[in-house]
Amino acid sequence: MLDAFLNSTVSMATPILLAALGELLVERAGIINIGIEGAMLAGAFFGLAAAYFMGSLALGILAAMGAAVAMNAILAVLVVNLAVNQVVAGTALDILAVGLTGVFYRQMFGITGKAFMVRSMPRLALGPLARLPIVGKPLFEQSALVYLAFAIVPVVAWVVGRTRYGLRLRAAGENPAAADALGLGVYALRWQALLASGVLSGLAGAFLTLAYANTFVENITAGRGFVALAVVIVGRWNPWGLALASLLFGAAMALQFGLQALGTALPYQLFLALPYALTLVVLAGFGGGVDAPSALGEPYSRSS
Amino acid sequence: MLRATGITKRFSRVVALDGVDFAAAPGEIHALLGENGAGKTTLMNVLAGRLRPDAGAATLDGLELRAGSPAAALAAGIAAVHQSPMLFERMTWEENLALGAMGAGSGVRLALDRVANDARRLAERLGFELPAPRATVDERSMGERVRLEILHALSLDPRVLILDEPTAVLAPGELSAFLDLLRRLRSEGRIVILVTHKLAEALAVADRITVLRHGRVVATTAPASTSESALARLMIGELPEAAPEKPAPVEAARRVLLEISALTVEYRGNRALDAVTLGVGAGEIVGIAGVEGNGQAELVEVLAGARRPSAGRIALCGAERVWTDEIAVIPQNRDIDGLVLDMPLWENLLLARPIRKRMSRHGWLDRARALELCRELIRAFRIRAEGPGASAASLSGGNRQRLSVARALAQNPRVLVAHNATRGLDLAATAEVHRTLRAFAADGGAVLLISNDLDELLGVCGRLFVMSRGRIRETRPDERTPEALGLLMAGRWH
Amino acid sequence: MNARTESARDPFALLRPLAALAAAVALIALVLLALGASPARVFAALWEGAFGNWFALTDTLVKSTPLVFTGLAIAVAFSGSLWNIGADGQLIIGALAAGAVGPMLGGWPRPLGIAIVLVSGAIGGALWGGVCGWLRARRATSEVISTIMMNFVAMQLLSWAVHGPLMEPSGAYPKSVAIAPAARMYMFAPPSQLNPAMLLALGLALGCYFFLFRSTAGFELRALGRNRRAATFFGVPAGAVAIWAMALSGALAGLGGAVQVCAITHRLYEKMSPGWGYEAIAVALVARLDPRWIVASAIFFGALDSGSQAMQRTEGVSPVLVQVIQGLVILILLALDTPAFSRLRESFGRAAEASASGESAAEGGDA
Repeated sequence: MLDAFLNSTVSMATPILLAALGELLVERAGIINIGIEGAMLAGAFFGLAAAYFMGSLALGILAAMGAAVAMNAILAVLVVNLAVNQVVAGTALDILAVGLTGVFYRQMFGITGKAFMVRSMPRLALGPLARLPIVGKPLFEQSALVYLAFAIVPVVAWVVGRTRYGLRLRAAGENPAAADALGLGVYALRWQALLASGVLSGLAGAFLTLAYANTFVENITAGRGFVALAVVIVGRWNPWGLALASLLFGAAMALQFGLQALGTALPYQLFLALPYALTLVVLAGFGGGVDAPSALGEPYSRSS
Repeated sequence: MLRATGITKRFSRVVALDGVDFAAAPGEIHALLGENGAGKTTLMNVLAGRLRPDAGAATLDGLELRAGSPAAALAAGIAAVHQSPMLFERMTWEENLALGAMGAGSGVRLALDRVANDARRLAERLGFELPAPRATVDERSMGERVRLEILHALSLDPRVLILDEPTAVLAPGELSAFLDLLRRLRSEGRIVILVTHKLAEALAVADRITVLRHGRVVATTAPASTSESALARLMIGELPEAAPEKPAPVEAARRVLLEISALTVEYRGNRALDAVTLGVGAGEIVGIAGVEGNGQAELVEVLAGARRPSAGRIALCGAERVWTDEIAVIPQNRDIDGLVLDMPLWENLLLARPIRKRMSRHGWLDRARALELCRELIRAFRIRAEGPGASAASLSGGNRQRLSVARALAQNPRVLVAHNATRGLDLAATAEVHRTLRAFAADGGAVLLISNDLDELLGVCGRLFVMSRGRIRETRPDERTPEALGLLMAGRWH
Repeated sequence: MNARTESARDPFALLRPLAALAAAVALIALVLLALGASPARVFAALWEGAFGNWFALTDTLVKSTPLVFTGLAIAVAFSGSLWNIGADGQLIIGALAAGAVGPMLGGWPRPLGIAIVLVSGAIGGALWGGVCGWLRARRATSEVISTIMMNFVAMQLLSWAVHGPLMEPSGAYPKSVAIAPAARMYMFAPPSQLNPAMLLALGLALGCYFFLFRSTAGFELRALGRNRRAATFFGVPAGAVAIWAMALSGALAGLGGAVQVCAITHRLYEKMSPGWGYEAIAVALVARLDPRWIVASAIFFGALDSGSQAMQRTEGVSPVLVQVIQGLVILILLALDTPAFSRLRESFGRAAEASASGESAAEGGDA
């Protein structure tokens, strides 16, 4: 019972964490990527399609990353180079992704959706750890993407907080004009952050279709990208905070499965709404701007 | 040798630099002197690669600097300390320094401890005090910010160091150490360019002084062959031969319309306004002279009702009011604070609350009346526009200013606050604005003219105040010369 | 974006949405070709499904109606640079309020019943949007994030309602008790679903136009949206405007939800909106945020929605193709509206002028 709950918590948290870590990089560079949901969705679909038709899990994961990176590249052209409104552009990408994946899905597999299944990513047992009671299987016998997601947390923390590159990235998000005056290359930094975020969103999408559901249904991401946006806020733009928030939100989503079994009076929708409601409470309590990068969401274009 | 030739830079219709030639040699402290708006900062930004000139080029040791590229200027060894520091507010001061050369060691790691150590050594040498470790910049005072930026620039080990008004915010004790530092940098064979309006400083430390006025070089001279008063005259220019009609001297019995008492604005730990007290009577034009950034903007914002003062009060005709529709403001940045550029002219009139109120009935705008008012104003103020429906963006700078002035007068205010109301206007347009202000005063209104154009203030105002570091002081009649005012504006009365 | 003033200055302002639509259609044709479908036949099926017969036409109008409401909601919010992404949630809450109140109105006079249902929807949406305005004004919270979060909370709230307190007595399906007949909208010509709510939408569009461009409050909203600094310098209360504008935007979307319950579904289901709140962004941007154009824009997108069903039947292409169009239209329109693009256009224009006769080029260049 508890191990099943832990297992689904980790499964729920992983894609959110992957996407949120990417969003963290992007936001640190001063861009808010509402299109992250769309990038995840594109990754989920094209990852599965590649794995299905080419019979290779590795190619599937590569395709997922490629699709999400392509989505973010479109966004980068618009919000970095053309300095359009980031919110509207991101929302348009979300809509576009639902449409594109839906059209391709129906076209490739028909409305019946005949056995659009792949074998699940293998689970890797981490030696004796996996034999621990209760926590063994859920924590230490998971797909490689789960380990990767949590392994990236310290990496992102290190890059953002402890490297000169991370400092430059933050500078681009704090005061792009000043960063430009120092010759830090704001456009390049923002592009890089968006591309890196594309890779992570792609992995998040790949996890959904290749490791979790093993198939695709329309709009399979079901708002997980938006949860990732929320996770970045609740985690206060700190990678460790993000990991914690992801697990918290993952647990809330996992609870709904356990609830029917437990037969509680609490409606499962409460837990589905919890991540979003919690974000609102955090926003109302701390205010939005306390830890957010100063120039977040503001279009920046170099004037000469 | 740093050499700039024929630098011309226009901002829309305003010529900020007009064929400026400038040269500075290694081992030289070169002061760049001029009033606000003379083009000093623009020239500095061109040299530092932050602005691309419309004509002309800059070379360092014969090599042409890539125009409009801060990175290229930095790579060539040109470091600049800006007047309003370009710092990253929410980062710690160590991180700010690390973004420059202090963290420039090899490796990907961010060695903040090493940065702090380097900074400490450098600061000791300069006699600067450093903030507490890991303190973020947003809590630091203006002086601390400038000191950080100086540290930052010096950490780049620059061949050319350009400083824009660096001493304005230094503590008195720091000043001599700072001037010593400049001399030391000179002895190391560097080029030091000191942008300033402080005559004494330029005379004390510079080897050569270049004076800019209205975007042109009017003189390049050595300190030995000039004097404070000669420099002041060069900076400000001769007064016109026939001084324009002076307003009648103030009669003590005049009814005071606007009364500001002990007005204080605290902002980020600084006192932007420090117990400002001042009264303007009916029929009077009172001027406030000062170098930009000494509290004028805050004073105007308070008078416009856009900012709440921390202490003090504003009374109108003796009655205290926090917010009043009887003060009309002509803001200084008409394109940023004054107008909504992509709205039509008639809607821009409505931006002013009293007009908006007058043109509304039960919450609905009386469009016909607003259009009619706009047409009237276009005629009366000879605004060149296609009509009331034309967007403000389609007007030239002078016509935008006419619109801004027309709107202020159309509010039927008792008090008119004009902030740099003639900036960027040509002579004819300037004269027209002045005529308007005089006519308003002659009709019994009170005018507060805040400006950094001394010609304008001396020509138009009855009484004249000087503002410096948020404080205000009335000038005596014998101080009403450009030379004396220049000294007062530099804070020579604190 | 005042169409009148924009067009006075920029003759391309009204052409750009059409250019964006054309470009989107061209891109879609490429996608269809890549998928092995015939673009011509797909577009023909779309047209047929949207306007081909009486039923198709009425269906198009029915599908356009909620888009007018949400499109107006977006236009009001975006006019003030309030980026309300939450029209979907506000619509859902509007529907929920209508669906909760509706069953209690048995025995009421019908006009009153209808009015109560619609007003409940508007109030629900206003609360849902107003909260986000309050968060922005008083807690410095981006309305973007809060409205997105509120969308999901609304979805779960609706889901809970139709599974729980409002569930129909049999409990077989996740749907609510039907609203009382007295609360149901009149129908013009059954069995078609043409109803007076469409006229209400039309009237509201005009109302919103007059509100935005003729009222003092609307002016303050637009001034804040265009130049926040200038507006606040002259004393426009930015916080208060954010609250009422978000509430108004939410009320419009909520009304759209209530109309859907009142006229079409008569009860609540687990999914009340196929994404009308998001589609509305495309609707509003194509209309240049001008309420008068929103009706036309909504009919265009409503036609796509309606035609896409037929397209799916005959050509086997997923109806979500219309979302590809929506997304592309927004993206292309954003790009076309940037200064970078107008510089490009100007340089093309100058080149064209230069190659034409010298005299006319000199005159044209001054305009």
